[in-house]
Amino acid sequence: MTIVLDSLRYLAYILIFPGFLFCFLTGMLLCGIDRKLVARMQKRIGPPVLQPFYDFFKLLGKETIVPAAANRVVFLAAPLVGLAAQVVLQLFIPVFSFSAFRGVADVIVVLYLLLIPALSVILGAASSGSPYAGVGLSREMVTILAVELPLVLVLLAVAKTVGNAMGTGLCFSLSQIAEYQAANGSLITRLSMLPAVAAMLLIIPGETGNHPFDAAEAETEICEGMLAEYSGAPLAVYKLSHAVKLLTMTSLFVALFLGGIGGAVEHLLVGLAPAIAGGLAIVIEIIILFLLCIVLVALCCSLVHAVTARLRIEQLFKYYWTVVAGLALISVVLAWYGL
Amino acid sequence: MFKNLITESMSKSPWLFHINAGSCNGCDIELVAVLTPRYDAERLGFKLTGTPRHADVVVVTGPVTKQVLPRVLRAISQVPEPRVIVTMGSCPQSGNVFRGSYSVAGPLSKYVDVDVDIAGCAPKPEAIIDGLALAMKILSEKRAAMNGKVEAKAAPAEEPKEVQAEPAAEAVEEAAPADPPVEEVAAAQEGGEQ
Repeated sequence: MTIVLDSLRYLAYILIFPGFLFCFLTGMLLCGIDRKLVARMQKRIGPPVLQPFYDFFKLLGKETIVPAAANRVVFLAAPLVGLAAQVVLQLFIPVFSFSAFRGVADVIVVLYLLLIPALSVILGAASSGSPYAGVGLSREMVTILAVELPLVLVLLAVAKTVGNAMGTGLCFSLSQIAEYQAANGSLITRLSMLPAVAAMLLIIPGETGNHPFDAAEAETEICEGMLAEYSGAPLAVYKLSHAVKLLTMTSLFVALFLGGIGGAVEHLLVGLAPAIAGGLAIVIEIIILFLLCIVLVALCCSLVHAVTARLRIEQLFKYYWTVVAGLALISVVLAWYGL
Repeated sequence: MFKNLITESMSKSPWLFHINAGSCNGCDIELVAVLTPRYDAERLGFKLTGTPRHADVVVVTGPVTKQVLPRVLRAISQVPEPRVIVTMGSCPQSGNVFRGSYSVAGPLSKYVDVDVDIAGCAPKPEAIIDGLALAMKILSEKRAAMNGKVEAKAAPAEEPKEVQAEPAAEAVEEAAPADPPVEEVAAAQEGGEQ
C-alpha cells in the first residue's frame, strides 16, 4: 500500500508540482515577463506576457525539417534529453523547506545536471551538419567553461559556510543548506557571502545564454548558431528548455542565498494546526519563490539585456574568469577563515 | 483542443525572415524601423529571425535580380510549412524603376505564390504593419487548411509545391498576383512617389 502511495506521490512530483507542469507554466511566464520588461525598458509596448506560450504552440504546428546531412536520431532526441535533464534538475532544488527528493542528490549532482542541457544542444547542433551550428557550438563550449569555474567557487563558498556552522567541514546537501538557513537566517545577510551573491547574479545570465553573454546564439551574425537547422517541434522543446533554465537558475539562487524566508513563513504559521500549516506553508512558499524569481529575472536578465550589447566570446571568457571568479574567490577565502 | 490552440497561436506569433533581393536598402530600413519603439511590431508577436528554418513569414524586398533569384527560391523553400510570402515595396511586385533592366528577373510572383503585396517606395510603416497583420491571418488560415489535410490522411501527395521551377509563361501585368494584395493604405502613396 505504502509503495503504491509513494510511487503516486513521486509521479505527482515529477509530472505536476516541481516537475513538468510547474516548470512549463512558470518557466514560460518568466520568459514572457522578461520580454515584456525589456520592451518597457526600451519604451516599447512589448509582446503580451503570454507570448512564449503562443510561440511554443505555433512551433508545435510547424513542419519539422530534418536536414539531409543530419543524424536523424541524435538530431531529434537531443532536445528531449536536454528538457528531461532540466526538469530533473528542478526536482532536486528545494523550495525553501520543501524538497521533492530529499537527501538523494546534492550540489555536485546539480552541477552535473546543469551541464546536460547545454551538452544536448551541442550534440544536436553537431549532428545537424550546419557550419553556423558548428561555430555556435564551439562558442557554447567556451561559454560553459567560462561559467563553470565561478559557479563551482560560489557553491564551494556556500558549502564551506554552512559546513563550518554544522561542524562537518563542507556541506554539499541542498536540503541541509535550506534547513540551516531556515534556522539561522538567509546567507545573503552575511557580509562574507555578498561577493558570492554578486557573482551568482552575474552567472545567471551567462548560464541561461541571455543577452550580453549570448555569443553562442548570435542571431545576427551566425543565424541563431546552434539552433540554425531546427524547426517545428524540436525547436519548441529547445525554447521550453531555455525557459525552464531561467526558472532553475533563479530558484537555485533563492535556495542558496534566500533560504531564510522559509523559516520566516513557518514562524508565521506556528499557531495553526500542523496539517493545515504544512499545506499553507507550501502554497505561500511557492508564491514567494515565483515572485523572487521574477525579481531576479528582472534584475539579471531584463535590465542587463536592455542596457548592454553582446560581448565577443573571448571577452566573455575573460570577464567570467577574472571579475566573476574573483568575486566568488573572495567569498571562498572569507568562508575558509570562518567569517 | 490542441489544434485550435495551434491555429490560434499561428496568428499571434509570426516570425519574420527578411530576404534582400537586390533592394536599394530603403525598404530594409523601413522594415527594421517598424520594430523600433515608435511602431513596435513586437507587440503583435513579430520577431526577426536569423535563419529561414525558424520563420513563418518571408519578407522579400528588391526587384529580384538574376544573380539573387536562385538564392531567394532556395531560402524560401527552406522555410517550413505553413509559410506566408510577403513582397515589400514596389520592386518585387512590379520591378518599379528597374523594370525591363537586363539584370532583373522579377517580379517575384512569376516564380512563387505571393500571399501579400505591400506597395510603396518605400511603403509607409502603417502599410507595412497592415500587410504583416494580413499575413498573420493568412498564416492561421493555411494552418487550419493543413489540419483538414492531416485529418483526411489519404492524400499521399502533399500540397502543391509553392516554388515553381519554371517561370510562368504569360507576362505578368503590373502586380496582379493570385492572392488579394493589400493596397488600401499604400496605393495612394505609391502613386505619389513614383
